[in-house]
Amino acid sequence: MSDQTVSDQTVHDQAVGGQAAPLLTVEAMSVRFTLGRPAARRVFARRAAGRGEVHAVTDVSFALRPGQVLALVGESGCGKSVLASALLGLLPANARLRGRAVLADPAGAPVELLGAPEPVLAGRVRGRLVGLVPQSAATHLTPVRTAGAQLVEAVRALRPAVAEPRALAEALADRVGLPRQALDSYPHELSGGTVQRVAVAMALAGDPPVVLADEPTTGLDRPLVDRTVDMLAELADQGRAVLLITHDLAAAKRVATHVAVMYASRLVEIAPAGQLFTEPWHPYTGMLLDALPDGAFTPIPGHPPELTALPSGCAFCRRCPDVPGYAPCTDDPGLIRVGDRWVAAHPPC
Amino acid sequence: MLSATGIVAGYRRGRPVLDGVDLGVAPGEVVGLAGPSGCGKSTLARVVSLLHRPWAGRVSVDGTVVTRFRHAAPASLRTRVGVVFQQPRLSVDPRFTLRAVVAEPLLAAGADRATAAETVAELADRVGLTGELLSRRPHEVSDGQLQRACLARALAPRPGYLVCDEMTAMLDASTTAALVRVVLDHVRDTGAGVLAISHDESLLAVWADRVSRLGGAGRPGAGGGQQEPPMTRGTQSA
Amino acid sequence: MADPVPETTDTDNTDTDTDIGGGWHSAARRRAGTPRRAAAAAGRARLRGGVSLVLLGLLALVALLVPWLGDAAGQQVDYAAVLRPPSPAHPFGTDGSGHDLFVRASAGLRVSLLVATACALASTVLGAAVGALAGAVGGWLDRLLMRLVDTVNAVPHLLLGIVIVALFRGSLGAVVVSIAATHWTTVARIVRAEVLSLRSRPFLDAAISGGSSRARVLRRHLLPAVVPQAALSAVLLLPHAVWHETALSFLGLGLPPHLPSLGNILGESRRAVLLGAWWVVALPSALLVLATLATSGLAAGWRDRLVPRRRSELAL
Repeated sequence: MSDQTVSDQTVHDQAVGGQAAPLLTVEAMSVRFTLGRPAARRVFARRAAGRGEVHAVTDVSFALRPGQVLALVGESGCGKSVLASALLGLLPANARLRGRAVLADPAGAPVELLGAPEPVLAGRVRGRLVGLVPQSAATHLTPVRTAGAQLVEAVRALRPAVAEPRALAEALADRVGLPRQALDSYPHELSGGTVQRVAVAMALAGDPPVVLADEPTTGLDRPLVDRTVDMLAELADQGRAVLLITHDLAAAKRVATHVAVMYASRLVEIAPAGQLFTEPWHPYTGMLLDALPDGAFTPIPGHPPELTALPSGCAFCRRCPDVPGYAPCTDDPGLIRVGDRWVAAHPPC
Repeated sequence: MLSATGIVAGYRRGRPVLDGVDLGVAPGEVVGLAGPSGCGKSTLARVVSLLHRPWAGRVSVDGTVVTRFRHAAPASLRTRVGVVFQQPRLSVDPRFTLRAVVAEPLLAAGADRATAAETVAELADRVGLTGELLSRRPHEVSDGQLQRACLARALAPRPGYLVCDEMTAMLDASTTAALVRVVLDHVRDTGAGVLAISHDESLLAVWADRVSRLGGAGRPGAGGGQQEPPMTRGTQSA
Repeated sequence: MADPVPETTDTDNTDTDTDIGGGWHSAARRRAGTPRRAAAAAGRARLRGGVSLVLLGLLALVALLVPWLGDAAGQQVDYAAVLRPPSPAHPFGTDGSGHDLFVRASAGLRVSLLVATACALASTVLGAAVGALAGAVGGWLDRLLMRLVDTVNAVPHLLLGIVIVALFRGSLGAVVVSIAATHWTTVARIVRAEVLSLRSRPFLDAAISGGSSRARVLRRHLLPAVVPQAALSAVLLLPHAVWHETALSFLGLGLPPHLPSLGNILGESRRAVLLGAWWVVALPSALLVLATLATSGLAAGWRDRLVPRRRSELAL
């Protein structure tokens, strides 16, 4: 994050042929949670005093352009989901934010998400500019109404100008490959994969340019995972930008155009998917890939640090120092740009 | 040998989830069980870990035919088959510390506190939990750390068979690899048999010695693209 | 390409506030509307809890200290001072036997509160035992016990109480039993529902698989989980028990006359009220209402705290 970055920008844009401006630009975003009770009561709660603050997201920056599927991967508890909640303004009241996240609006001025008041988020952002594909689609739908009724309701709420909401809902269903008769079924009558399609159709109801999928494949079996992420890839092909948050590296491998690896609240590496999977630069990325069953199937030793007590410098090298085969650690947690890749603390020599 | 023959089981009358399924796990063997969501894998796991009474069929553990299930089964038989569930957060009592979670089966078997503490420390070491993590409650640890505790709890009575019902579905790659290693070490050290249930075929390919498939609608091998004969009428390798 | 630092030109023309770049700000302030209402509601709830607690403390103090200071047990019948309206010597007047009503009503409050507590405890223990048994064992025992609950509920509580008290007339034990025997059903239902909801949790499967016996599962997992609910129902039962005891005593079926409860006092003063001596019932009724409000306010506050809010404050 230095002068180097700005000067490289044009070169890089030409390299990718990237005339497309980013739809979502996140800059030095940090999220912290204050734990325990408010200060007045903390005197009585013995344990709350020592807990302090959770550093859930630290200095995260990235840009998301049309046509990209950016997979955000990392171990559970590294802060991935908090990032998604922060972008949609769904954080609980004990959270504090820093930095900015600017969302382009094709029809108006850009919106800064982190500071936007609730009416802006509810009226312009959620569903309209950013569609959310939820973690568990089955719990996302009400069990007492049919999938179709809920989809039509979403269309009505998000696009009041549409004269025939039912027709649009059916078009959406067709687009995600949802059979018509599924629209007349109640959520519990549908299989997990079909419900996931309903959720994707609902995320598309407001025709959002950005789709945010937060662990959309949890609990699905492999063929359903593949179908769900393929559907997300199709959305990107239609010119949308997809942020896919997942712990499933195989799913990320399948569809991502770019991958961002998160460890202990920070991004440690961002790269085009092909390059990242064939040649990881950060030792954490490498060891995460080695842990896959079709890799070496070797677990990473130790535990990730507590988000309440993050080490300074390169957090991963505190857990696993001097992994052979990677560039030496500079102990600077900021991302450094090399070519069209970004890596923290371990730039190749 | 942990075996189940002709298992018919379900939850609602007239709607069997499993319909005539056979399964056998020999000591020292890791049997993978794959199949689409909702095909009855978890029900089969509950039947062979003596937690769900089948409507018909026979379950036997090392030659002892099981006639009664859940609490009615003798404790010594129940502890022969350990089980790890998919969702660690639901499978521990939220009031317990991780240490208490792991120690519970030992204390239930009548171990005194000192021996139990010793065994817990040894198990924690095996699954990669530190003493500091052991003193926390479930909501203070991640899914992966909690599942490590669940595995330690399942291994505490030194079971002859271990049923892992989608043990790694909620976990990241690194924790998955770590836990599967612990299970394989247990197999190597004690000659236990393992039923590894997962929908991740690439995981089963490295974990299991052979893979059986359960088709849709609880019928052995029915449906799906997998041309596999019924479950253990074949011991097909994947 | 997903690059961390975009061109500055992309981001300059935002329409929202521009001072958010540097410092921290809370995620709470953006949620307009709801938090203020929620905060106001939370404030009211806290106030109610606080007022109830203070009120109950005051009442307990009165019930403890006044009979002792005023020597309630040593009060003699004083026919020279029968049915006197409030005066400096007797700030709340005297009753038909010339007793000071402040002292006597405080003693009545003490008896009423003690009886109510005993009743609430007894019904909670009985109800929790029945509910836990029905929920944990299930099957025919569950059905049998639940039909018993329905039967008890189908009979009017006061009627059932009257029958029990009539059989063992005028003893403290009979009153406690009669109230406990009619009020345990609520607790039993609540505890059973709680146990049933726990029974299908995977952690009980894990306990069974780990070799825990039925009794151990009950002791280690089920009972600790229902204790908060049961304790809450006990507190919620307090005002009920106060009124039940009052009603029985008012009908002359309650405590023996040498134990002056609020109900006894009110029952004895019926006729005096008809003669215009309003003060005879004023203080006992006021104490009864205040005691009810204080206990139910406290119980409501506690219930609100037990209502499962979002399990954790952050979802990582």
